[in-house]
Amino acid sequence: MTYQEKQNIVHIFSGVLITAIFAWIVYQRQLQGVFDLSRDFSKWGLVFLIFIGVSVVARIIIQIIFHIFNAIATREEEVPKEDERDKLVRLKATRNSYYAFSGGFVLSVTALALGMPVHGMFIGLVVFGLIAEIIDHGSQIYYYRKGV
Amino acid sequence: MVRKSIITGKESEMAGSKIQNNIRRLRFNAGEMTQQELADRVRVSRQTIVAIEKGNYSPSLELAFRFAHVFNTPLEEVFSYDPGHDK
Repeated sequence: MTYQEKQNIVHIFSGVLITAIFAWIVYQRQLQGVFDLSRDFSKWGLVFLIFIGVSVVARIIIQIIFHIFNAIATREEEVPKEDERDKLVRLKATRNSYYAFSGGFVLSVTALALGMPVHGMFIGLVVFGLIAEIIDHGSQIYYYRKGV
Repeated sequence: MVRKSIITGKESEMAGSKIQNNIRRLRFNAGEMTQQELADRVRVSRQTIVAIEKGNYSPSLELAFRFAHVFNTPLEEVFSYDPGHDK
């Protein structure tokens, strides 16, 4: 398995893990009555902003740990430099994730138009954001293995 | 002695690519140059060399010319196009 494939697998698992832990914490706060996300929509903005910050920091830490473990396991300290193939793979994967998130956004807005509560749309955005990320990194693994 | 595995760009044909290449043979003829050495000289990763040799990736025109320059050979000696795959 190449460095890029391993890195994308780590990205998928870390994305799912971070989102799941953060969603569980927010849900617990909701149950405890710290805030009411079904009515107070300004809190959604705060939740999203905190999530972005936490997610970025957690990913950096996970990537550092991955790099250290990979260097120990493979004895290759150098990260492969990005070339034109990597850029093309990333570009195509980003396109796929964009399609996934756009589809999810349309579905969420359609559900809202059909009478779903507003907080349902926000949850939909989080879920489809995660799905889009999985599709992004999953596509990269596919293109690295099958060719681009 | 020429080993069977390095004679032609058969693998790229098997992968269904329209572009075939003779990089393995040229590497072998260039003093058994390793994939890593070639990768360093054309400024890509070793994985990209592997993908090109397998026919999983068709390089850009610039990279194709870099291969030709490294092997000091015409471009059509390194890569060839098979229109039969269009059918």
